[in-house]
Amino acid sequence: MVASTNSRISDDMFTDEVIADPYTYYGRLREEDPVHWNEQYSLWVITRYDDLVWLTRHNELFSSAVFKNDPKPPYPTIYDSDLGLYEFVREYQSRQFIQHDRPAHLDMRKVVHGYFTPRSMEEWRPMVRDAIKDLLDEAEERGSMDVMRDFATPLPLLIIAQMMGVPKQDRPYIREVAEKLLYVGRGEPWRMQNFSEGIREMIEYVTPLVEERIVNPQDDFISVLARGEREGVFSREQVISNSSLLLLAGHETTINLLCNGILSLIRNPAQWEMLREDPEGMHVKATEECLRHDSSVKSITRIAAEDVELRGQVIRKADRIRWFISSANRDPRKFPNPDDFDLTRWPNPHVAFGAGIHHCLGATLVRVEGQEAFRAFAERFNALHLDTTEELEYQPSITFRSVKEMPITWD
Amino acid sequence: MARKLRITVDHDVCVGNAMCETFATNTFALNEERQSEAVNPDGDPLSQILEAADNCPVSAITVADAETGEKLFP
Ligand code: HEM
Ligand code: HEM
Ligand code: SF4
Repeated sequence: MVASTNSRISDDMFTDEVIADPYTYYGRLREEDPVHWNEQYSLWVITRYDDLVWLTRHNELFSSAVFKNDPKPPYPTIYDSDLGLYEFVREYQSRQFIQHDRPAHLDMRKVVHGYFTPRSMEEWRPMVRDAIKDLLDEAEERGSMDVMRDFATPLPLLIIAQMMGVPKQDRPYIREVAEKLLYVGRGEPWRMQNFSEGIREMIEYVTPLVEERIVNPQDDFISVLARGEREGVFSREQVISNSSLLLLAGHETTINLLCNGILSLIRNPAQWEMLREDPEGMHVKATEECLRHDSSVKSITRIAAEDVELRGQVIRKADRIRWFISSANRDPRKFPNPDDFDLTRWPNPHVAFGAGIHHCLGATLVRVEGQEAFRAFAERFNALHLDTTEELEYQPSITFRSVKEMPITWD
Repeated sequence: MARKLRITVDHDVCVGNAMCETFATNTFALNEERQSEAVNPDGDPLSQILEAADNCPVSAITVADAETGEKLFP
């Protein structure tokens, strides 16, 4: 089945090499076996741009109800003693609309979609700018910064908590719970204990906030979800599950965009200069290129809803599938010199946010955050340097492209 | 008589999210490639068409008055 010219491509997607550099491994699959059956994890690995676009737009063929419908055991493996916890996690996750198909998905998404239009996100721009300024002022006073810990982590939390109407004093607690939940997709066999503990704490935290908004609607986002319950679209459990989804959604992903983007700018001084010379003119394009070049989300799963043929392979009903954004966004058939980080690339039709009916709800918000962050760095600093001689380490996740830490200096 | 509209969908950016179709069912439809087409520029009331344009997550839709050229969205 594998058309490799020299050696068979290993199916172990969690080796240190693949985690450190997903581009070589998934790039090779893209060129040699774009619809690849991974024996070890019993799943299809899809790596070409065109196939991703086609697959994500054919939601009737590829189900998103993965937790509900996947008959196979979790991967990588977890402790047997944790299988009960896994069921709990599955049950909770399967209530979120990211894990639903039509028609239920549409009803749920409609409730929240209007809040995230490009126009309404513009209204948050001044607030985003202020939050960035405060964080960078603090960093300058200290004289050092770990981009991950001191900038990229607090920023999205400050913004989303303000949008959702979470009281200021509760933010450190949210962050703590988030850390447990953000083990998402990391390979440790004990990860279910953290998830289920985090989920329980999140439910406990969000429940009174939701109950209060049901009685007393305000103009925050939890109230928008609560309205969904009054209109009969959501059950109470779903309001709670989706509130916590949105509170943490995109947290890890936004952190990754900011860290990976700054890293690309550090490693490509000519591009950094271009941004510095014209932050106003370049901040939008720069953000899109950061989203494409070192994408926050590496891959997403689906379950085949029926037998589907793709590039001569037959994907059977109930087979699981993983589509790789990281290789699609580097597909030379779509992007000339795909490995180059090039801020002038335009248009830039990357699939960092997926496509089709599940296209990222938070994309409009993240774009504002990325644009303002990259602009602020370029306006404030002459040059950025990594403050370490070691190679940066990445979380062993198949889903997220997350650096563990990222100390920098500047002048 | 309702005004005549000129509606465009930029296929360089449309991601097939289908929100336009959801808000203005008679005006927009997804094609073979699952990208939106304005199949009937007076399929729905103007307010609904503008709501559809506003709800496009990638701002792919423009709406203008076909006779005067006046921009109605964005
Ligand atoms: C750089 C940051 C982000 C990236 C790269 C990203 C990426 C993605 C991707 C690839 C999907 C598609 C999932 C699928 O098809 O199954 C998605 C969906 C989603 N994202 Fe994001 N995301 C980011 C930030 C955010 C933020 C900040 C939020 C919330 C405010 C958010 C909320 C969502 C939701 C709710 C969905 C599910 C949409 C649906 O099923 O209709 N994301 N995101
Ligand atoms: C409160 C918010 C969230 C919680 C608590 C949560 C929790 C989880 C858990 C427990 C898993 C299972 C991981 C495993 O089996 O190893 C998972 C997987 C995953 N989540 Fe989330 N998640 C949240 C939000 C999101 C959002 C917004 C996105 C989209 C950007 C997302 C994308 C994913 C993906 C892609 C996976 C990998 C599962 C797969 O595709 O096989 N999650 N999540
Ligand atoms: S809402 Fe926008 S992205 Fe979605 S199908 Fe319509 S035009 Fe395309």
